[in-house]
Amino acid sequence: MGSILVVAEIQKGTIREASYELVSFAKKLGGDVRSLVIGSGIAGEAEAFAKRGGGKVYVADDPALANYNVDGWARAIRAAADAAGADVVLISNTPSGWDVAPRLAAALDAAFVSDAFDARPGPVFVRRIFNGKLDAEVAPAGGKAVVTVQPGATAAFDGTSEGSTEKLAVDLSGLRAKFVETKVAEAKGVDLTKAEIIVSGGRGVGAPEKFPEVIQPLADALGGAMGASRPVVDAGWLPHEYQVGSSGQVVTPKLYIACGISGAIQHLVGMKGSNFIIAINKDADAPIFEVAQLGVVGDLFEIVPKLTAAVKTAKG
Amino acid sequence: MKILVSLKQVPHQDARLDVNADGSWIKEDGIKFEINSYDTFALEEALRAKDADPATEVVVASIGPERVTQALRTALGMGADRAVHVKDAAVDGSDALGIAKLLAAIAKEVGPDLVLMGLMSDDSNASAVPPMLAELMGIPHATAVVKVEKKDGGVRVERELEGGALEVVDLPQPCLLAVQTGLNQVRYASLKGIMAAKKKPIDVKTAEALGLGGKVGKAAAKVRIQKIYPPPKGEGAEILSGSADEVVTKLVGKIKELGLL
Repeated sequence: MGSILVVAEIQKGTIREASYELVSFAKKLGGDVRSLVIGSGIAGEAEAFAKRGGGKVYVADDPALANYNVDGWARAIRAAADAAGADVVLISNTPSGWDVAPRLAAALDAAFVSDAFDARPGPVFVRRIFNGKLDAEVAPAGGKAVVTVQPGATAAFDGTSEGSTEKLAVDLSGLRAKFVETKVAEAKGVDLTKAEIIVSGGRGVGAPEKFPEVIQPLADALGGAMGASRPVVDAGWLPHEYQVGSSGQVVTPKLYIACGISGAIQHLVGMKGSNFIIAINKDADAPIFEVAQLGVVGDLFEIVPKLTAAVKTAKG
Repeated sequence: MKILVSLKQVPHQDARLDVNADGSWIKEDGIKFEINSYDTFALEEALRAKDADPATEVVVASIGPERVTQALRTALGMGADRAVHVKDAAVDGSDALGIAKLLAAIAKEVGPDLVLMGLMSDDSNASAVPPMLAELMGIPHATAVVKVEKKDGGVRVERELEGGALEVVDLPQPCLLAVQTGLNQVRYASLKGIMAAKKKPIDVKTAEALGLGGKVGKAAAKVRIQKIYPPPKGEGAEILSGSADEVVTKLVGKIKELGLL
């Protein structure tokens, strides 16, 4: 194994947690860890990263890199991978990471592995497929590999390293995409983050009218709020403000009841921190049962109305 | 304006998934297939551009065995103008880069002003092909697109970031957009559309005909699946058994125990 290039990401002026996770991930593979930090006015952050696991850090520091730009990022990573003689390039599977990594792999005619959550020397990478229903072990057939790594799946590296920084020359002329602005999330009409009890419905609820008929009454009976998974919002059954998940609200109620939600990773990220999780789903193999404490394998249209009635009775 | 939309046919989201004998993929026999959910939003966005300007030509492309014809007929029934189908056992086992190479060869023949694709597939979940295809075509791209509008001869798009934030980016055309689900409300094929689709052409191609003989398929793949398996079960949930009434009584007991009733 030659060297491994870790592409660190700056978020709100500092190196994000996921970048330290990449260092730990690189150590699973074995090999000399080198890094790249991309941004504008980031010399101090790069210095710090060099001593906290980054090792030899290449620095692409330019006002044109203040915001994510796919051409700029691809060129910087390619220059760093060349300078480092990297066999493997590790990039966090974030909105900028998943955007640039496959493009880079195609440019290098390299193997590409997406959203790996584990690895071992070989290298062999483990990733989840079929929306969480199966795992796959994949291996590059040889040559270079570009790998995106699932944030939150590996413990962040918190040791030290002998490090140094080196400024990287990157041609930033003729960047095609133009960053306009970042729009922050709008204030929510439904603030699920403050709810103590959330009853959420997924694709298994089957139709928009079933939410006020079946899901909302249980939420009301418990004095809680109603939530939903992404497919429900995508289908236009409920507005986005009800969405729980990585692209919706991240919630930590005392009780989360998931009805007809299979448990795609992007939903689990948004609710697995709940104190207690009850899942009701007709598919016994649904990934939601892995994060739930209590499960019911059955028809939500039979269970939920009975539960609503029983809660009302219990409350008197 | 010419728009190329790529469609992947994937196992139905409710299909029972069993691992095949050598553990390399799922058993596909007897499974119902559907158009990848993300791709339906890409197709809808293309059809909306055609609704707005009837001079727009929408070309759909798909790679896969005979069953893929069904997906292409559905797309034609929804309003696409013509289809390209790479039907060739030699492409079986291609990795994402192999697929991107095939689509790039198709794109070279079609000459699109815009390429629309789904952000990822419901089977591989890799989000790999769209940026690869853009690189091979030498055009800019954006992923996780949730809004598209015309702007000064190009497009202005909104990309989904974490926690509900959005990134607004301008791209010149031609460009490639990988769209998120929920971008629009996807139409159904009308009966009239389905009838009309029967007369629309599906151009069937091989890798050889696209100049990629020996360059795609299993042997050329740069990444190989060694094995697939159900995720290891953790402690998991305690599954309640009994009749619906018994289960509900236990659930109420638990909620009381949590101090929430």
